[in-house]
Amino acid sequence: MTQLNLSKRSIFEAPTIGQMSWATKIVLYALLLAWSAFVLFPIYWLLITSFKDAADVNQGPFFIPWVDFQPSLHAWKELFVTDYEDTLRAYLNSIVISLSATVLSVLIGSMAAYALSRVQYAPNLITILFFVFLLGLTAVAVGMYDVDWRLAAAVAVALFFFLARALGNLYQFRLHNGDILFWIISQRILAPIVVVVPIYIMFQTMGLLDTHIAIILTYSVVNMPIVVWLMYDFFNSIPRDLEESAQLDGATMITTFREIVLPLSRTGLAATTLLVMILSWNEYLLALFLSTSKAQTMPILVAAMNAGERGILWWTMSVAIIVMIIPVVVLAVFLQKYISKGLLVGAVKG
Amino acid sequence: MTAPLVQSVGTAKSISIRDMNKYYGGVHALKDLSIEVEAGEFLVLLGPSGCGKSTALRMIAGLESISSGGLLIGDTDVTDVLPKYRDIAMVFQSYALYPHKTVAENIGFPLKVAKTPPAEMDAAVRAAADQVELGELLDRFPGQLSGGQRQRVALARAIIRRPSVFLMDEPLSNLDAKLRGNMRAELKHMQGELGITTIYVTHDQIEAMTLAHRVAIMKDGVLQQLGTPKEVYSDPANLFVAGFMGSPPMNFVTGAITGGTFTAGEVRITGVDAPDHAAVTLGFRPEDCQIDAPGQGILDADVFTIEMTGDQVLVTLRMDGTPLVVKMPKEFEIDAGAKAAITLDPKHLYFFNAQTGARIRA
Repeated sequence: MTQLNLSKRSIFEAPTIGQMSWATKIVLYALLLAWSAFVLFPIYWLLITSFKDAADVNQGPFFIPWVDFQPSLHAWKELFVTDYEDTLRAYLNSIVISLSATVLSVLIGSMAAYALSRVQYAPNLITILFFVFLLGLTAVAVGMYDVDWRLAAAVAVALFFFLARALGNLYQFRLHNGDILFWIISQRILAPIVVVVPIYIMFQTMGLLDTHIAIILTYSVVNMPIVVWLMYDFFNSIPRDLEESAQLDGATMITTFREIVLPLSRTGLAATTLLVMILSWNEYLLALFLSTSKAQTMPILVAAMNAGERGILWWTMSVAIIVMIIPVVVLAVFLQKYISKGLLVGAVKG
Repeated sequence: MTAPLVQSVGTAKSISIRDMNKYYGGVHALKDLSIEVEAGEFLVLLGPSGCGKSTALRMIAGLESISSGGLLIGDTDVTDVLPKYRDIAMVFQSYALYPHKTVAENIGFPLKVAKTPPAEMDAAVRAAADQVELGELLDRFPGQLSGGQRQRVALARAIIRRPSVFLMDEPLSNLDAKLRGNMRAELKHMQGELGITTIYVTHDQIEAMTLAHRVAIMKDGVLQQLGTPKEVYSDPANLFVAGFMGSPPMNFVTGAITGGTFTAGEVRITGVDAPDHAAVTLGFRPEDCQIDAPGQGILDADVFTIEMTGDQVLVTLRMDGTPLVVKMPKEFEIDAGAKAAITLDPKHLYFFNAQTGARIRA
C-alpha cells in the first residue's frame, strides 16, 4: 500500500521563511549577506577613505579604522573649512540646477504627455516645415545680417499666417500623435554629446555661458523626452471613464485634473521626478562645456580633484562623493512612499 | 403610439432626440436617430455590439459631439452644451469609481464640485448610501469592495444629485448572473421610486424586456423599432427585431406565398392573409407551436436535441438542415432522432420579405 504524499503547498507557491528547513535558511542568509556586503562595500570604502591620510591610502589597503589606521578629519576640513567657498558654491549650484531643471521638465513634459494621451492632434507636415524654415530664416537674418530682431520676427509671423493656410491646402500630409511622440523621443536617441558644440556656440552668442540658466535650460530639454514618454504611458493607463464621469458630475477640466488625474498620477510623477533628478544631479558632460567656474556643479568639482598637480586626491574626492550622494538618498526615501503599486485597483471592473 | 403610464416627479425632464447623426471620419455610426422620451420614462436602447447604442448614449451625455441633428432635455436645447451643464448622471459599464477616494468621497463627489456645505453633503451621502444599502462601507476604498458593492457606489453617486436624467451604459454586465438579477429588480424599483427619466443601454434582451417602459432596438446605427416590450415582442417590425427578441429566438422558414398559400418545400400553409411574394420568411416563436406525431402537423422534422431547462423542455428539430426550436411543457418526452411534426398556431405566424427583412402584413 503506497502512501500518497500530499504536500501542503503547490510547487507554484514560494515557501515562507518559517516553512524552510534550518539548512536552507543558513544557505539563504549566507547568500544574502554576501550580496549585501558586495553591494555595500564600495560605500563603506568611500566612507573610510574620506577619513584617511595620503599615507593610509598609498600604503594600504587598510580596512578597519582605529585598527588598521588612525582616522582623521583632514579631508573634511579641507573641503568644508579651507575650500568651503568652492564646495558650497558647487553644492548649491547642483541643487539649484537639478531642482529647477527637474521641475521644469516634469511640469512641461507631463503637460505635453497628458495632452498627447487625451487629445488627437493632426498637424499638417508642410505647415510645420514652413514654420521651421521661417524660424531658421529669422535666426540667419538676425545673426548674420544684423537685421533688427523685432522686424525679422514680425515679417516671419506675417509670412507664416499669410502663407501657412495656402501651403497647407496645397499638400495635405498630416502627422498624428504617434509621429509627435516619436519625434520627441528621437531628440533623445541622438546622444547629447553630438549637440554640445552647437549648444556651446548658441549660449556663447547669447552671453549665457557659465550661468545657471544655460545649464537648467539644457538639462530640461535633454530630460523632457524621458518625462514625456514615461508620463504618456502612465496617463494612458488611467481610464478615461474616470475623467468623463467627473465631468458629468459637474467638474471643470481643472477640477478633474486636480481631483482625479493628479492624485492618480502621483506614482508616475514621483518615479519620473526621481529619475530626472538623478540624471540632472549626476550629469557631467554638458556641465563641463557650459560652466567654467561660477556655475560649476558637483560632478565637475569631483572630477577636478583627479586632475590637480598633487595627484589624485582620493580622500577629498571621497568626501565630495559622500555629500553628493546624500541629497539623492534623501529624495529617494522621501519619494519612495509615493512609488507604490496598485493605486488604480478598483477604478474599473476589478 | 401611446407610451405607458409613467410616474414622473417634479425634477424629471423629457428628452427629445431629433435626427441625431454621428460620423467618425467616413463611418456613419448613428443614422437619423429620433426618439421622444417622456419625463420619468425608462427607455432601453437595445442592440448587438457596434449598433450605435453606446454612441447614442454618449452623445446624449455630451461625451461625444453631435455631428448633425438636435437634442433637447426638457425645453432646453443642449446640442452644443457641455456635459456638466446638462444635469445628467451616468453609470458606466466600468463603474468609473475614483480609486483614491473612499466610498463616501466617491458618492459625495458631485456635491463637492458643486460646493455644497459639508454638513449638508454628509447627510446627503448618508442618505444615498442607505438607499443602496452601503451605509456600513463609507470609509472603504473601491479596491476593497466586491463587484456588486462597486455597482452600488456608482448608483449612489448617480442618484445623490437628483439629476433630471440618468444614463446607464450596460451597468449590470460585469456582475455574475444571480447578482445581475437582483440588481435588475432593485434598479427598476429605484427608478420607479425616484421617477427620474432614464436611458439605459444593453445588449441583453431580457434586461431590456424586464426594465423598460419602452425599448428602442438598434442595428448598424439605425433604429429598427421603438415600442413597449410587449409590442416589440409580439409585433416585431422586421426580421431583425423578430430574431433579436426572445430566448430562444424565433424560428424561421424561407418559402413563397402564392394565392394565400405559403409554400416551402413540402410545407404548405393555406389561408395565409398576406399578398403574393416570391421570397418570404415565415417566423414563429418556440412557444407558439407544438410537437405532434409524424404526419399530423404542418412541418415534418427530425428531433435533434432535447434540453430540459426546469420549467419547460426545449426541443430542437431539424427540417432539411433548418433548426427549429419548440417549447414544450416539462412533462413532455421524446427521443433524439425520432420523427415528429410541428403544429403551428395560425394566429401567431409572422411573414417577412426574405430580401429586405421588412414585415409583410395583410
